[in-house]
Amino acid sequence: MGERLLRAVLPQLGKLLVLLFTISTLLFFLLRQAGDPAYVLAGVGATPEQLAAIRLQYGLDRPLFGQYLSYLGNVLRFDFGASLITGDSALGTVMQRFPQTLQLASMAMFLSIVVSIPLGAWLGARPERAGRRLVSGIVFVLQGAPGFVLALLFIQLLAIQLMWLPSVGYSASDWKTWVLPTLSLATFSAPSLTRIVAANVTEALREDYIRTGRAYGAPFHTLLWRHALPNALLGASALIGVQFAGLLSGSAIIESIYSWPGMGSLLLEAVQTLDFPVVQAEVFVIAILVFGVNVLMDFTFRRLDPRLADAPA
Amino acid sequence: MSAAAPLPVVEVRSLSLRMSRDRSAQEVLHEVGLRIGAGEIVGLVGESGSGKSVTALSLLRLLPAGVARYGEGARISVLGRDILAMGEAELRRMRGADVSVIFQEPMTALNPVVRIERQLCEVIRRHRGGSLQAARALSLSLLADMRIADPERAMASFPHELSGGMRQRVMIAMAFSCDPALIIADEATTALDVTVQAQVLELLRQRARAKGTSVLLITHDFGVVNETCDRVYVMYRGEVVEEGLASDIIREPKHPYTRALLSALPGRGLPRARLETVAAAMLEGGEPVVRAAPLPPRVLDDTRPPILETRGLTVRYPKPDALWGRATAPLPAVDGVSLVVRPGETLALVGESGCGKSSLLNALVGLVPHEGDVLYEGAPLRMPRSGVQMVFQDPQGSLDPRWPAWRIVTEPLTVAGRKGRAERRRLAAALFDRVGLSQDAIDRRPHEFSGGQRQRIAVARALSVQPRLLLLDEPTSALDVSVQAQILNLLMDLQDAAGLAYLFVSHDLAVVRHIADRIAIMQRGVIVETGDTATVLASPQHPYTRTLLAAVPRLETQDSLKPIRG
Repeated sequence: MGERLLRAVLPQLGKLLVLLFTISTLLFFLLRQAGDPAYVLAGVGATPEQLAAIRLQYGLDRPLFGQYLSYLGNVLRFDFGASLITGDSALGTVMQRFPQTLQLASMAMFLSIVVSIPLGAWLGARPERAGRRLVSGIVFVLQGAPGFVLALLFIQLLAIQLMWLPSVGYSASDWKTWVLPTLSLATFSAPSLTRIVAANVTEALREDYIRTGRAYGAPFHTLLWRHALPNALLGASALIGVQFAGLLSGSAIIESIYSWPGMGSLLLEAVQTLDFPVVQAEVFVIAILVFGVNVLMDFTFRRLDPRLADAPA
Repeated sequence: MSAAAPLPVVEVRSLSLRMSRDRSAQEVLHEVGLRIGAGEIVGLVGESGSGKSVTALSLLRLLPAGVARYGEGARISVLGRDILAMGEAELRRMRGADVSVIFQEPMTALNPVVRIERQLCEVIRRHRGGSLQAARALSLSLLADMRIADPERAMASFPHELSGGMRQRVMIAMAFSCDPALIIADEATTALDVTVQAQVLELLRQRARAKGTSVLLITHDFGVVNETCDRVYVMYRGEVVEEGLASDIIREPKHPYTRALLSALPGRGLPRARLETVAAAMLEGGEPVVRAAPLPPRVLDDTRPPILETRGLTVRYPKPDALWGRATAPLPAVDGVSLVVRPGETLALVGESGCGKSSLLNALVGLVPHEGDVLYEGAPLRMPRSGVQMVFQDPQGSLDPRWPAWRIVTEPLTVAGRKGRAERRRLAAALFDRVGLSQDAIDRRPHEFSGGQRQRIAVARALSVQPRLLLLDEPTSALDVSVQAQILNLLMDLQDAAGLAYLFVSHDLAVVRHIADRIAIMQRGVIVETGDTATVLASPQHPYTRTLLAAVPRLETQDSLKPIRG
């Protein structure tokens, strides 16, 4: 068993290493295109002498390839250097923000799943009916609408007009501060999830085993919930994996709007201030996260679908 | 039936049915009448589109509600109850309890993500109530009755973990689980291997007889009807054209369609005689003309050098387990096969699913790696090669749906070099002519042709590069009997005209008996018997050949294998 597991994990680790190497390399050269770090370090109005001193201090005067090699060496030791703004460890800064992002992404994902699966099953069961066509239309529009627009609408309605909820800010102990960000982020993932569940349910209801069920007297709700839905969710679960990875890495706008102290808003700040070490550390962490979620999901599908369970990895 | 059964289980009268699709309604059944007595096994025979399945599904009103419109005077009575007047809830109580259905596709008729146990118990508890333990116990005994060796294990399995035959046994167990009065078997054994079909049919028949269950057996196979049914209804284009005792109808068919269908069957008349085709028979004033004039015997010259020869051909697939490090030597799918095909002759390769015949073909054309030699005209065969062409089983899947026919049939020419559009269209028209299709049709796309026409296109494509050898992979098994007859006629004509050699892979001994000069029987990757067709089929030496022959449903006893109505 141990050997089995090892043989399943080792190729994945190999892939991860290749991925991280490629990303680090791309990042290094792309960021060098974005601007000269010496200007950022020196601040506005620095003299040429000050710039030269900083270049010397940080090794920025060395040939680019040499800088790249020492950068790779540092990355191998998870050393991304210190934030150019605060002077704290870049990786530490990112990891400090990680729990809030994980919390927000998880809540949004959970909300999406809880809403999308029943809604999708309901829509997919009889897609030709007028009421469901209308709901499908709304879901379609929501899928197309930019998430931040909805977020601003939520703030306007729930926070400013009704004053039920705080509009911005985060408190680990006050659930009310969680509601709007979660709701807004979920509007990214829920519409497409609903649509894929609905489409899969409609398709599953056309399968032969549904006809068998009908021929053996199963009522429609049994056919829908017990036979069609589990098959439909196999396809949808692939999207859930992709979406969760997306929510973890792509919540920058929502986090900024609500001043949510997560990785997303940190990344936005770091890019604006050309805080290279933090950007590098964060992209690195996100790459690992996305990869990890994908591997985990892949592993989970094999458990869910009996036809894949004993297929080779 | 006799007066002792006053109330028939099924009584259908003047059943007309229109099905609407895309706003246009089409009459699919016209004034169908059907009667099934208690304990009777009744066959419903016809080709695809004849309305046999639609008739059977109507007995439980299983057709989509919005699509099916029953005619004014239609009456369907099951166990004395008026099906067309029933409410949905009442219908559900009948479905699976009083009448149950066994469907054709054992691969897809069971839910792939639900264990067998839950699927069986769900049906049992719905109709019989009771505890889960009781349902489990009943399921186990039903599976044991179906001669499933390890019922506990079958119960714990998902459908994909069982073979096709096992799945169909599970379906039969489910069908009998609530002691129905009628079981509808809709082509229940069509997808199974012939030996498995024989077992499954026997199980169904025995159990139905023992329980006094009536069976409506839907099939296209008169052999199955002959061996299983008491009475039979023949359907053609939505109408019942003939009914009567199964033995009578097979011996003395009255309706021209029935006669045409029976004379379209290969393997009954003289080998290589032209087979009657239904369309032709129906056009010629309803009288099928059976051309039973003896053909000049084919002289096979065994001294000629072979066109295709394999020596010790072996195919191994890497086992998935090798990934986990337990690299056991894989069992070969094809194990040391040596075959010879001579110019102008047909060698049939016969075997059941999984015997390795497809692997063998794939190895010949280089789709899978192999060991051993493949020689074409004495030299190692390298594909692609214009002298060797392949025709696949599924004419639907092997033609690009977006291409016009002329482009499809002339595609092999482009492998050799560029050809102009006008040139290709001219060649396509000539090829269409050769395979009996109208030259005007070369601009149509595959979906505008029928299944038989599509297979003609596939043959035309193979002919485009003037091959000397065709590899035919079950070329007629996806087709109706009458269409199969047309394709077999075409293949024989082409062989006579152009001296083509065929390697004809098939599971159907009747087809093989009709078309093949020589035969090779394959089992578990090995050729167990080979020889000229008449000899092997008349006096099979290997036990497996005998099993295979015994399992084929027959229309008549061996000695009456002479041309019908000479």
